[in-house]
Amino acid sequence: MSQDPITLVSKDDKEYEISRSAAMVSPTLKAMIEGSFRESKGRIELKQFDSHILKKVVEYLNYNFQYSSINEDDDDIPEFEIPTDMSLELLLAADYLNI
Amino acid sequence: MYRSRNKPKKEGENEVKGPNSALTQFLREEGISAENIKQKWHQRQSKNHEDSINEKKDKAVDDNLTAQIPQQLEEEQVEDVEIGSGTKTGRTDISYDARMKLVPVDSDEEEYETSRLSDTLVSLTPTKNPELLAKKRQNSARIIQKRRKKRKRAANLLDRRVNRVSSLQSLCITQISENISKWQEQSDESSKQVYNRLRDVLGGVSTANLNNLAKALSKNRALNDHTLQLFLKTDLTELTFNDCSKISFDGYKTLAIFSPHLTSLSLQMCGQLNNESLLYIAEKLPNLKSINLDGPFLINEGTWKTFFAIMKDRLEEFHISNTHRFTDQSLSNLLINCSSTLVSLGLSRLDSVSNYALLPQYLLNNGFHTLCIEYPFNEEDVNDEIIINLLGQVGRTLRKLVLNGCLDLTDSMVVNGLTAFIPEKCQLEVLSLEESDQITTDSLVYFFNKVKLNNLKECSFRRCLQLGDMAIINLLFNGARDSLRSLSLNSLKELTTNAFVTLKCPNLTYIDLGFVRCVDDSVIELLVDQNPNLTVIDVFGDNLVTERAITRPGLELIGRQSDSI
Repeated sequence: MSQDPITLVSKDDKEYEISRSAAMVSPTLKAMIEGSFRESKGRIELKQFDSHILKKVVEYLNYNFQYSSINEDDDDIPEFEIPTDMSLELLLAADYLNI
Repeated sequence: MYRSRNKPKKEGENEVKGPNSALTQFLREEGISAENIKQKWHQRQSKNHEDSINEKKDKAVDDNLTAQIPQQLEEEQVEDVEIGSGTKTGRTDISYDARMKLVPVDSDEEEYETSRLSDTLVSLTPTKNPELLAKKRQNSARIIQKRRKKRKRAANLLDRRVNRVSSLQSLCITQISENISKWQEQSDESSKQVYNRLRDVLGGVSTANLNNLAKALSKNRALNDHTLQLFLKTDLTELTFNDCSKISFDGYKTLAIFSPHLTSLSLQMCGQLNNESLLYIAEKLPNLKSINLDGPFLINEGTWKTFFAIMKDRLEEFHISNTHRFTDQSLSNLLINCSSTLVSLGLSRLDSVSNYALLPQYLLNNGFHTLCIEYPFNEEDVNDEIIINLLGQVGRTLRKLVLNGCLDLTDSMVVNGLTAFIPEKCQLEVLSLEESDQITTDSLVYFFNKVKLNNLKECSFRRCLQLGDMAIINLLFNGARDSLRSLSLNSLKELTTNAFVTLKCPNLTYIDLGFVRCVDDSVIELLVDQNPNLTVIDVFGDNLVTERAITRPGLELIGRQSDSI
């Protein structure tokens, strides 16, 4: 499998690049990437989400990827900040992406 | 659920979160606190002292205090930041006013908080030495951060949270549930909009997340008539509320009207559910088949009678706990009307029910799968004979059997009931016999040898004090090994390390070994090696488990003595 980064595209056609392994954190994206459809080529359109939501999602995927493998005794996992007014839309996105 | 008591205090009466007692909540809402009373007393006292102490002396003492505090912080690196500790050094000649100025309001609650602490330090420090000041600030910031980490770690441990990185869904739900009352109460336009938007959004959220939100709201005691509106989705079929104490009887009626497709409803702590609302629920929800009520103590005998008459021939699951108004008569009404359809029955902590002997005559449904009889008021009300008769009726099809706190049960129940009536290849998934201290190893060994528990997922022998190694070894040798997910051996003081040699369960995720005295570091190491999916081991009261116990990442030991926080 190629190790090229994945591009996620938001409603307003903004593109966000994310490493393949970080995208794999989401079972939904994983299925898309490993499937036999056009998405497997590395460009996934998530047109139902605004760009600021998608930006946060990418941020979370990287955050999760970075810290979930971290050593047990290392307590230095920072909080993932979510602006209150974004929490609803973000919940929908998280629900969809199953993260 | 663990909740830190040092959370920053917010204003407003509805900000009380977490499992406080009703009394605490009342006192807070009324603004009565020990600290206030103390403050007033000190103020009165200090007035008397004021005249006798001169200003210069005060200043000198203040300087001394400042010099002492950072040292103390460094030495202790824990707890006591309160300036009150200064008085311990014997300086009783400081005026009350001088000292009271230094003690933050409500210091007990706020002692860890950054802003307070730094305020205090600043007020103590003469401005002439900025370098010292900066150093002190750094110091205290470091200490505070350390404490925060410890507290977070403690909270995670007590919540049995093994995953260090929470899912984005749970983060969002926490955020929403924390703000929900604010949005709904604030009158400004944006909050209103957010709240309305929330109702729209939840229409598109999966049922699993809706239930998670219900859970989060219950945990924060934020579920009330207003927030209830979020769950009024017309197509919802299952709903669980874990804390309904703030939902009024009108709320239940609204629920019944707006969610007509509900088939399964679980209302815990539903103290405000009254006769009218219960009947309303029964009438307006034509598809309701399963109801689980905890604490419906306003419902009287007459209403239960009517309720079961309405639910006749459609009630399939009925679980009730914590009410003294559910009597023998109500039980008999339930059985007469609904026994033909009933496949799941739970009776727990019902202080007015004693005639459990009624059950075997009525439970005749061929698909009966769940039986939970817990904590009868008189232990002799649930005896061997009754359970044997019951198992004779429904044992064949049982998938879940819970007999917690039925203290009168003996080996006879195991030999003549469980072994005799549960088929050799049984469906049993949950078996819980907690606190049955009269059941011995021999009878269980006999049972496990006769019956293959190939589907057993959850098993609890908590406080079955007479059980020894052979019971556990036989449980595992006879089929349960591959299916078992959760096992509680809490307080089985007779167990020795031999019992754990055979504990090799590929699917086991949780084991409670609290107060099993023989458990030591080597047992833990053995369990870690043999059970690849184990994520949590409870070791409360096991003083042989030390910090040297070897675990693996993703597995938590909870309750270890050496884990001082």
